[in-house]
Amino acid sequence: MQSYRLLILPFLILAVSFTILYPNFADRSLKIVVREDVYALPEADQKILVNALFERWAKDYGKGSGWTIEPQGTLPPKENPFYTVKGRFITSAKINQISQENQSLVSESKNKLEPTWIENTIRGGKSLSIKLGLDLQGGMRVVLKGDFEDYTSKLKDLYAKELTELNLTLKNPTAKPEDKEKAKSRLSEIESSFDLSPMRKIVELEKAKMIIDNRLTTQNLTEPQVRIQKEQDAIEVSLPGVSNSAAILEILQNTETVEYRLEEPNPFVFKGQIADNERRMMDLGKREDTDIFIFQELVKNKAGKKAQDEFLEGLEKKYNIPKDFKVYAMWARGNSAKSALLPRSFVVLERKIALSGNDMTNAQPSYNSNSYGWMVSFTLTPNGAEKFFDLTSENRGRNLAIVWGDKVISNPVINDPIAGGRAEISGSFSEQEAIRLANVISEGALPIPLSVLEMRFIGPTLGIESIEVGLKAVAIGFFLVMAYMILYYRLGGFIADLSLLVNLIILAALLTLMDFTLTLPGIAGIILTAGMAVDANVIIYERIREEIEEGRALSIAVTRGFENAFWTIMDANVTTLIAGILMIRLGNGPIKGFAITLCWGIVTTLFTSLFLSRLFMELAVNRMGVHHLNLRPFFFGKKETTNV
Amino acid sequence: MYNINFTKYKYFTLSFSFLAIVAGFVITFTKYGGFAHSLDFNGGLRTVVELPADKTRNDLDGYFQSKNIEAVVILLEKEKNIYQLDIGLGSLDTIESLYKEIPEENRETSTSAIDRFVQLLRYEYKLPKEKVLSADQVGAVVGGELTEVGITLLLTTLAIILLYLSIRSQFKFALASSIALVHDILMTLALIGFLQIKPSVPIIAALLTLLGYSINDKIVVFDRIRENAHGKDNLALSNIINVSISQTLGRTINTSFTTMISVIAIIVGGAVELYDFAFVLLFGVLVGTYSSIYIAAPISEIYDQLRKKRFV
Repeated sequence: MQSYRLLILPFLILAVSFTILYPNFADRSLKIVVREDVYALPEADQKILVNALFERWAKDYGKGSGWTIEPQGTLPPKENPFYTVKGRFITSAKINQISQENQSLVSESKNKLEPTWIENTIRGGKSLSIKLGLDLQGGMRVVLKGDFEDYTSKLKDLYAKELTELNLTLKNPTAKPEDKEKAKSRLSEIESSFDLSPMRKIVELEKAKMIIDNRLTTQNLTEPQVRIQKEQDAIEVSLPGVSNSAAILEILQNTETVEYRLEEPNPFVFKGQIADNERRMMDLGKREDTDIFIFQELVKNKAGKKAQDEFLEGLEKKYNIPKDFKVYAMWARGNSAKSALLPRSFVVLERKIALSGNDMTNAQPSYNSNSYGWMVSFTLTPNGAEKFFDLTSENRGRNLAIVWGDKVISNPVINDPIAGGRAEISGSFSEQEAIRLANVISEGALPIPLSVLEMRFIGPTLGIESIEVGLKAVAIGFFLVMAYMILYYRLGGFIADLSLLVNLIILAALLTLMDFTLTLPGIAGIILTAGMAVDANVIIYERIREEIEEGRALSIAVTRGFENAFWTIMDANVTTLIAGILMIRLGNGPIKGFAITLCWGIVTTLFTSLFLSRLFMELAVNRMGVHHLNLRPFFFGKKETTNV
Repeated sequence: MYNINFTKYKYFTLSFSFLAIVAGFVITFTKYGGFAHSLDFNGGLRTVVELPADKTRNDLDGYFQSKNIEAVVILLEKEKNIYQLDIGLGSLDTIESLYKEIPEENRETSTSAIDRFVQLLRYEYKLPKEKVLSADQVGAVVGGELTEVGITLLLTTLAIILLYLSIRSQFKFALASSIALVHDILMTLALIGFLQIKPSVPIIAALLTLLGYSINDKIVVFDRIRENAHGKDNLALSNIINVSISQTLGRTINTSFTTMISVIAIIVGGAVELYDFAFVLLFGVLVGTYSSIYIAAPISEIYDQLRKKRFV
């Protein structure tokens, strides 16, 4: 291990590390996108918004940061509707703050931090900058709990029809025994899917997590973190820098689904019953007692989903609707396009879901100039297209209702089988609603409804002052330690310092590459890493010195020193590593952050102290002609300990 | 080579540690009724306010101290003089009575603690409504769950370390290191309770750091003991321990010293909110070093003697 050629390895690793770390220090550019509707405002109003931005800019965002913003003081041209901010250390907290404080000017969801060339090359545009945790910069934390009861009842709907058929087969005395056997096994298969094992719950939560991730990405919030909390079947979302965004919460929680359900066959017996009764009440002059009026009042009073569900279930009982069917409300606007979207009548649909949102993708809202209304067109997945074709060919003449959330928004008659995998939904939508519906279809629906368990604005654990002072103190501490090492171990100290620096650079690069979020305990882990790295070198030098004192030749003393220290360092680090891995597995939040840095720190420490330090030391002694190695401190005077 | 008789004082140091831990916990639970309350662990009130430019952290600290309200003051933004104030649940009664002292015309009737605190603050500092940027009653960030996880974690870690060290060296060293590790944690907890340091995320970080440091330190010392004991079964273990500790003393001093440099830099530097973190860590490093020499080594010796007696 004494060849110069081995130096290539550390240099290579350093070069890679620096490349990975580059985006943290690079000049970056950020696009702050202006909302489209701002351009439609009168000029005076535009000016107010722009002035507000630049006042805050001068006072707050730009101050002392060295950032520039273009164009200055005016609205950017309509064809390029964005401000470009250039500078170093643009943080997510600041980006989110700018968006939130200028909500009527900035379109939060479209802001974009331009990736640097490195991020484009090695990560396809994904960010490589070190992320700071909520405890360092503050933000919002939401814990959403999965409602699995609701999930199973939905699942039962999906299999409702099949279950009835299977049960019929089982009860049918004339059915063939093998058919019965088949039905039995299918039945138990379906029933087992209602049984939610912890494993299954995790799978569903994973799916929900993916969708939330998607939704947040389209919001383009910087550095959100989505985590599953196994213990309480919940998903935790951390949004650094976001102070209180009700809009984001609504988007996260949106469990709306889109699905197709067949209406009861014509003639509409059940629907007719309800309609007759309603008409009778109207004739008696009791408009306030009609079910639809009561339901409208529920909606207007924002009674919530649960109350609405209970009301509809009540109707099912009142009219003796069989189990295979379910009562829904048909929602529409009144005569004017501006009137509210409200339930207008009741329809009775099959409980079985004919086609679910999972079979649809890629939805686009568009304006239909023929009917002067908004509609949403979408693509069906190959599987969905097949199902849709079968469905429309088998049920010609029946009504196929589109249910969005709990609302039936249209129920057109099936005239012809529809093939080709494209379809559209038209209803009485506003533009906003069409966009929302399109989003629901495109992003996929949450598999499980989520309720907010806890929502909190979190201030940073430390103030700005403490972070500044703390960083300075850590830097000074580092400098002192390094100086002490040189004073104490002379050349050895210099080599130890060198490998400590390399160690920290590699560690930072590794953590960046793993999308690690730096928290306060994480910093503590790094400090401990540095301490243990210094310790490893101290152990080695003490060993080398012992060898020298016993009169061994320098190059042998160095080799033996490293060898003797090897297992001590290994044992010390491996035990700590085991503790660290346990902390990652068992621990939560703060413990985990600490443990991850610690574990990776140990890996880098082992490399730098056992390989790199040794390489440097042996090169110095064997190749560079260092004949005298004095590992005694300057301040204890000159003793013996030189050997050739 | 200088040779110090470290094990001579073993009964003294062992009983000293034992008494210190017991005393720390007894005082914590009898005098103070347990560990200090903190926002991170128990929840409380949190407000963010923008104060007039002439008010400083000292004013706030002084005010809360004079009124006997436990508060943590954090400067969030320097330019705008924005502070975050965290009030522990323990001070709710004090706030209640102070609120009642506000002249009738200056207060709105309100039942929630956080509203009352905000009114008190606004009255005291003549703040208009819009300067109170946020006010929440918050739940614990860490807390019950963490205590539970922490204990499981500690026990599992100890078991694994015990196993690893038993395989790598000998059971007596593994046992001694584990006991010394528990000693370090208990000592530090006793100190945290005795000084009523508020448990928080940084304190957790400090405890974890000291755990890592302590394991590291013990293994270095024991490795040397094991190495020196190799093939010298007839020699008294206490001699070997003394020689080994003397041999590693240079390293122990150097490592503790360099670690302490960084920690002291934080204390001297004046990062107010990191003060507790650094203080606990400093104590932890000292305890960790002390216990490697005066707790772990003697325990392995006592264990050795007991075993030998059984076979004689």
